[in-house]
Amino acid sequence: MEMIIILLVLALLAFWVARIYNQLVELQNRHENGFSQIEVQLKRRYDLIPNLVETAKAYMNHERETLEAVINARNDAVAGLAAAAGKPGDAAAMSELAGAEGILGSAMSRFNVTMEAYPDLKASANMAQLSEELTSTENKVAFARQAFNDQVTEFNTYRNSFPPVLFASTFGFSSDAALMEFEDSQEIQAAPKVSF
Amino acid sequence: MNFFQAQNKARHNTRLLTALFIGAVISLVLLTNLLVLVFFVDSMPGTSLVNQVVNAPSQVWIYTSLGVVGLIAVASGFKFLALQGGGKAVAESLGGVLIHQNTRDSQQRQLLNVVEEMAIAAGMPVPPVYLIRENSINAFAAGFGIHDAVIGINQGTIDLLNRQELQGVVAHEFSHILNGDMRINLRIIALLNGILILGVIGGGLMRGSMFSRSRDRGALIALGIGLLIIGYGGTFFGQLIKAAVSRQREYLADASAVQFTRSTQGIANALKKIGTHSTGSRIESPQADENSHLFFGAIRSFSSMMATHPPLEARIKALDPNWVPSADQGKTISSSRSAPGASGFARGAAVSQLSGSANLPAAQRMIETADADLNQASHDTFEARALVYAMLLSHDDAVRGNQIQLIAQLAEPGVPELVPNMYRLLSDQDHQDKLLHLEQAMPTLKEMSRAQYQRFYDLTAKLIVADKAVDIFEWVVHRLITQELYAHFVKPHRSNGRITRAGKVAKQAGLILSLLATVGADNGDDQVSAYQRGQKIWGGSAHMARLKYFDHQALNQALERLRELNADLKQRFIDACSGVVNADGKLTSQEFSLIKGIAVTLGCPLPPVD
Repeated sequence: MEMIIILLVLALLAFWVARIYNQLVELQNRHENGFSQIEVQLKRRYDLIPNLVETAKAYMNHERETLEAVINARNDAVAGLAAAAGKPGDAAAMSELAGAEGILGSAMSRFNVTMEAYPDLKASANMAQLSEELTSTENKVAFARQAFNDQVTEFNTYRNSFPPVLFASTFGFSSDAALMEFEDSQEIQAAPKVSF
Repeated sequence: MNFFQAQNKARHNTRLLTALFIGAVISLVLLTNLLVLVFFVDSMPGTSLVNQVVNAPSQVWIYTSLGVVGLIAVASGFKFLALQGGGKAVAESLGGVLIHQNTRDSQQRQLLNVVEEMAIAAGMPVPPVYLIRENSINAFAAGFGIHDAVIGINQGTIDLLNRQELQGVVAHEFSHILNGDMRINLRIIALLNGILILGVIGGGLMRGSMFSRSRDRGALIALGIGLLIIGYGGTFFGQLIKAAVSRQREYLADASAVQFTRSTQGIANALKKIGTHSTGSRIESPQADENSHLFFGAIRSFSSMMATHPPLEARIKALDPNWVPSADQGKTISSSRSAPGASGFARGAAVSQLSGSANLPAAQRMIETADADLNQASHDTFEARALVYAMLLSHDDAVRGNQIQLIAQLAEPGVPELVPNMYRLLSDQDHQDKLLHLEQAMPTLKEMSRAQYQRFYDLTAKLIVADKAVDIFEWVVHRLITQELYAHFVKPHRSNGRITRAGKVAKQAGLILSLLATVGADNGDDQVSAYQRGQKIWGGSAHMARLKYFDHQALNQALERLRELNADLKQRFIDACSGVVNADGKLTSQEFSLIKGIAVTLGCPLPPVD
């Protein structure tokens, strides 16, 4: 008769472990879905930047370097995003994307400083609209990133809690998912705010 | 069959299945007992098997029975727990990828539009949509009720079907939601899992004891084989029952889809495309098996007895009798069943059509004529919040000033800047328009993280009470947010329909009917006659309550109780509500908001009327 009790306990354990596994998968799926939300917004931003540069070109003939730096940084960020989208939560991919974003951010702020010298450009309706759109996209990126980080934190907290921590590695969840931290979140958020 | 009848039928089916399941468990217990007795109780030489069974010590019976029942309970319980997450959990377990509301992929955009139109046409919340990376043509719906439902669509479906066909498929899935099929299904999944576990353990026991040296080795192997047969045999019969029920529900869902879309073309062509597509409706993911009955088409080809779906030919013929000459019309579709909204009121003037029906043309018109900027804002995760905040801004300058300050302090960066523009866009919209945009925004708001939801929810609550009062519109906004987002982020509410006598809720029903009557007319006599009209439908005799102000707490308490009504009574109650509202032949925006909030809280769909 002990056998039956042992069986029951074993079954209970097996289901309990299965549930932990399912929970881990669910939380992982959720933060991966969260990343695609960031992706949508970042892509939007990367699409806007060439337009911005195109518009600026007409006015800033002598600032090729600045404009090129923006475009290069933007292209690197696009590549970083593509790499990160394949494995959201992977620490290396996330920091690479964050690095590319950081460079893009500083290129953008240099661009903004340069633009100060071109009142005509600042006054153009096209430019005003583009920078407005960039600002709002930037806010959206920040919001999506916050949601993603919340979801990653939820996953990590669960992964490191007891008892899931005992099984997480066995199930292939060997490391915490990486948060998406931009080097200087505050500055990045303000970066494309073209100061008029 | 309308929504309520379908719900009743679904409940009835569930009970039937549960009874069958209990029968199955009892026979499983008996069989296992028999096995144990035969192989383990030391047989006395010369006694017959019957004698042995009869003379077996009672402990053997008790322990074995407890063991089996315990195992089944544990297995079913865990599965049930896993399914508690509702539709979202099922979609995620199938590897679904959430399609974002602001997607820029044109195919996905079209799909979301089709789903949104259908949801609004059926008067239910817009469900989140998940993309399944499979190239066959299939789709599924999952969840407990209308508030936690999700829809999953294969990549192949959006690649290969045109808009009309997609509409047919989506309508089919919506009818599963409205017919309460998902709820039965989730239960069956859990119960079957309980039986299956016996087989799994039997298999384990058999393999394990192959290597054991114990004296009982032979007996253990035999017990293992026995359990294996019982478990898998039980599962087999369980699958048979499940498949039989599922096949019936498929015909019904096809028929409802026709009724929703007012066209047999879309769904019939989609089925024909499955027939000619190389992989048909096959799903590769092994997780799909236990959810096979939730899908649009069969996910595996089974023999006819085990098939979860009727044969394609039969389904197409039922929809399109001319498809094959001399076709046998097994089940014809009466697409002309009950023409909706016979009344000639202005837009949304009547709310009597509360059934499992859907009014697609009306929904499409509503979306088309709605403000394009607001449509867009409601689909943007970021702007949707500003939209809701703006809806709650007061017309009173002082109060609005306070509210704007609250938003500036508590909303996420970037949102406060958007609010004034939203407020301007909303200024010429009536309650019905605003609520449409709120419904559109729901799946968008579900994309927030839990922490963001909490912040959003707290701020909306603060905005609502900024003027120290709650009006009807604020109440319905709060109801919608709570009902739908709470179901998503915390846990879906599941009413059990345990109240079966109208007398038990006479006071609550009277209060709500009085409220509707008071709001609907200025004149005291009109109010009383409207109220009496409602009471006549409801069949109660309570006197109309005199209400001096809109007491949202009393209303919520009353609804809290009424949502435990069974489907029949819910229908009667909603009919009574529409009776009061339609008494004077016109629908004010106050009345619309109230009845919307009531329907949402009771979990009843409220389709628009021409």
